[in-house]
Amino acid sequence: MIKIHDLEKVYRTEEVETIALNKLSFAVKEGEFVAVMGPSGCGKSTLLNILGLLDDPDSGSFLFNGIEVAGFNERKRADLRKRNIGFVFQSFNLIDELTVFENVELPLIYLGVKGDERKKRVEEMLDKMQIMHRRNHYPQQLSGGQQQRVAVARAVVNKPKLILADEPTGNLDSSNGNEVMELLTDLNEQGTTIIMVTHSEHDARYSHRIIRMLDGQTVTENILV
Amino acid sequence: MLKNYFKIAFRNLWRHRVFSLINILGLTVGMTACFLIFLYVRFELSYDKFHSKGDRIYRIICDIKTPTEVMKPGGPSWAVGPHLMGGFPQVEATVRTTDDELLVRRGNVKFQEKKSLWADSSFFQVFDFKLIKGNPHTALNDPLNVVFSESAVKKYFGNTDPIGQTILLTGEGFTAKITGVMKDIPENSMIQADMLVSMNTLTRKLNPNLDNQWGNYGNRTYVLLKPGANAASFEKQLPAFLEKMNGTEMKQLNMYPTLMLEKFPEAYLHSTRNDSNSGSIKNVYIFSIVAVFILLIACFNFINLTTARSAERAKEVGIRKVVGAGRRQLTAQFIGESIMICLIAFLLTLAAAALLLPSFNQLAGKTLSNGVFENWRFIGMLFLASIGIGLLAGLYPALVLSSFRPVTVLKGRFSTGAKGILLRRGLVISQFTISIALIISTIIVYLQMNFMRSQDLGFSKDQMMVINSNGDPARDAFVHAVEGLPNVKSVSMSSSVPGGGNMGAYSKIQNAKGVMQIANLDLYFVDFDYLKQFNIKVVAGRMFSRQFMTDTTQAMILNESAVKSFGYRSPQDAVGRDFDQWGRRGKIIGVMKDFHFKSLQEEIKPLSMRIEPNGCSLVSVKVSANNLPSTISAIESKWNALIPARPFSYFFLDEFFDEQYKSEQRFGKLFLNFAILAIIISCLGLLGLASYSTMQRTREIGIRKVLGATIPNIVNLLSIDFLTLVGIAIIIASPIAWFAMHKWLQDFAYRIPISWWIFAVAAVAATIIAILTVSFQAIKAAVANPVKSLRTE
Repeated sequence: MIKIHDLEKVYRTEEVETIALNKLSFAVKEGEFVAVMGPSGCGKSTLLNILGLLDDPDSGSFLFNGIEVAGFNERKRADLRKRNIGFVFQSFNLIDELTVFENVELPLIYLGVKGDERKKRVEEMLDKMQIMHRRNHYPQQLSGGQQQRVAVARAVVNKPKLILADEPTGNLDSSNGNEVMELLTDLNEQGTTIIMVTHSEHDARYSHRIIRMLDGQTVTENILV
Repeated sequence: MLKNYFKIAFRNLWRHRVFSLINILGLTVGMTACFLIFLYVRFELSYDKFHSKGDRIYRIICDIKTPTEVMKPGGPSWAVGPHLMGGFPQVEATVRTTDDELLVRRGNVKFQEKKSLWADSSFFQVFDFKLIKGNPHTALNDPLNVVFSESAVKKYFGNTDPIGQTILLTGEGFTAKITGVMKDIPENSMIQADMLVSMNTLTRKLNPNLDNQWGNYGNRTYVLLKPGANAASFEKQLPAFLEKMNGTEMKQLNMYPTLMLEKFPEAYLHSTRNDSNSGSIKNVYIFSIVAVFILLIACFNFINLTTARSAERAKEVGIRKVVGAGRRQLTAQFIGESIMICLIAFLLTLAAAALLLPSFNQLAGKTLSNGVFENWRFIGMLFLASIGIGLLAGLYPALVLSSFRPVTVLKGRFSTGAKGILLRRGLVISQFTISIALIISTIIVYLQMNFMRSQDLGFSKDQMMVINSNGDPARDAFVHAVEGLPNVKSVSMSSSVPGGGNMGAYSKIQNAKGVMQIANLDLYFVDFDYLKQFNIKVVAGRMFSRQFMTDTTQAMILNESAVKSFGYRSPQDAVGRDFDQWGRRGKIIGVMKDFHFKSLQEEIKPLSMRIEPNGCSLVSVKVSANNLPSTISAIESKWNALIPARPFSYFFLDEFFDEQYKSEQRFGKLFLNFAILAIIISCLGLLGLASYSTMQRTREIGIRKVLGATIPNIVNLLSIDFLTLVGIAIIIASPIAWFAMHKWLQDFAYRIPISWWIFAVAAVAATIIAILTVSFQAIKAAVANPVKSLRTE
């Protein structure tokens, strides 16, 4: 599903040049659950942003479903993104002014799904995430675990092929964290490809494969399954 | 999607109530000011635009060249109108009008009809004033025909049909017949009348031969050209026409008139003749500019506050982009929000304008509009304008916000760029530049008004009651009766008082070289006591005196300006020289000190005074300040006993003189109000920005306090940025305001100097206002507990 080859990304400020990705190459098959690990600053987040089509590599190749997307312009990336990719963040990133229902509804709105259909799908998803009773609450009124469940619901409501999770349990206690990991595992078992960046060995164990990074390169790949 | 936008827009407004309030209030104030100014400008532009033949109606004006000056009467001589008709094929009709104040009686109802107008019978053929009853072609055909306005009908006839009924006109009691009723003339016409009297009453009955008087001025003449006629070529034929009709007399009098055409629908704003009824295109421009400025200030607030808050919205933008929003959708969302704010402001503007309109009408001195909802088109325009403002003001913030890259903003690495800060500073500077320029201008307008009111005019106008006898034969008896009253100090009669109109007389005065020099001299007819009564000083020669029998017919007093214009080096030299004026000949017996008999906008012109009891109809009564009401009622009862046929009316000279500055005072007041509005909106913006920047620096403030900064240190830190901006604004605004006000003051012959302290006052005022606005926020932040503020990160 994803194949990257010799991917490079360099951040420049006036004096310092930081190489975030250094000729990185790997592939992810459809239906895989991959964890990316490594110390702070190793390039994990940069990788995730590029995989999520939020950022563009400086050089190298990135095939998404067989299409070369490196060099896509913003609009094309956005279009591909909203149809295929869901995001889960460490800090949830819910919109404070919208209710739980409305937050989950948002991707469907941008996809142009009709109102009735939207309502049905959002309710279905909230039910599945067991936060239906909170549908009219605002994010601030929820616990961290609940917020992340809403975020996951939002990430998968448009049935994306790929979910990118950036330390999804980083702001949660262990029991809430485990719940979220269970959710992701369930989604993966239903066929969704998941790439997750994490610091937690415990969380990484839920995945099929761990890619370890250092200084913008892959160091090892452990296959767990 | 729209629903979602509205929802989030509304919730955003509600969550940030203070900012929303500042935004909405600012826009409301700006839009209200703009809307009111729009009503004013539209009204000023609408004068006499309703005449269907307007593009063919011209007003004839006239310059008269004499050896010493160019006179600019409001119209040509009486003979011009009637003679144009025969002489030019392209002329369809001419109308002459002249304003008057006629005594009108019907039974016990009597009024000095202030808005009387003599008019030729073609009046209704040329102008679009609607005749409700009577025949527009014949209503003014015969002498002593009268057309009343509906209001006048109500006044004299109540609900009965006036057609064919009679009224008594003037003190002589001519019986006149009502031949028509017209709709009240709308306020936006230069021609104003409640009563039209057929012109041939004058030209055939009261002053036969007026139609042939080429040297007699004092009417307005309008000409209606035939469709397709060329006005310019018509105008070019006029000198030859005058030469043919009146060439000999022109040479003989040494007065050469030139006739010019003014498009009538444009005369109100553009005429070179200063009418009591005319407007000023300059004021229209000034207020239009002020309106645009105020709106700009309000829009700048909006842009400033929205972009300043962009850091807060950045996260939302990031998330929306991640879940699939495109840039276009986000732009639409933010513009939608700004339009929504403007639409809320639109509703508030409607309410505010409806509330303010009556007082604004009063301030403007005319009924600009009877109500905001009178004309749905205006509301529609305001609605569209609000959407336009929303688009304009929202466009920049929308473009900025929608351009955020989700990677950056979601990682919290976001900072508002230097460009944004520069832009906000620029906008704050512009706002304050406009406000400070308005403050400076307002101060100068007020000082000039004050100067004109407090200036020593060279005559005494206090406690001077002036009664118009309208030449009633019993006026001498009335004067004698009033003289005997307690609390009446002295009484005098004259043709004119300062601040009112006066005659201009064709005169020949012996000049310094001994030649009889021709001049058009302003002329007052007075009695023996006039100079004493008004405390006008004589600088050479003597006053009129009852001891000299010849003073009643052969004596003239000139003012200093007149003496100078005839070439005398000292007033003394003019005494004893000859004059020849309106058939009287005699000697100049004295020279009076110049006094301001016109407003301070005009230079003191040459003035002559002669004794002429028949020409004196104004009775000036100097009264003591004690017991004024009883003095007035005592005078009134004398009037009622001696002149029962006329209504008693009077004015006090000081107020009457100040009336001349009415339009300037209005101008000043309007200006002051709009300057205050501009300041308020600017301050709202400053308040918003200050509170925002303080909020953003909470952590910095906390750290500084932990490190030992005192409260004044912090307040300084937070205020100094904004004060610098205000300082820059002062530097920019001062020369602009100086230039504009220097030009404005050129209209006044007597004016104040623009001194440096005016700028200092404005600068200090603006600084204090800014300090008050900013420091409130700064102090609040400075006294807060640093532990708390550090925890906000």
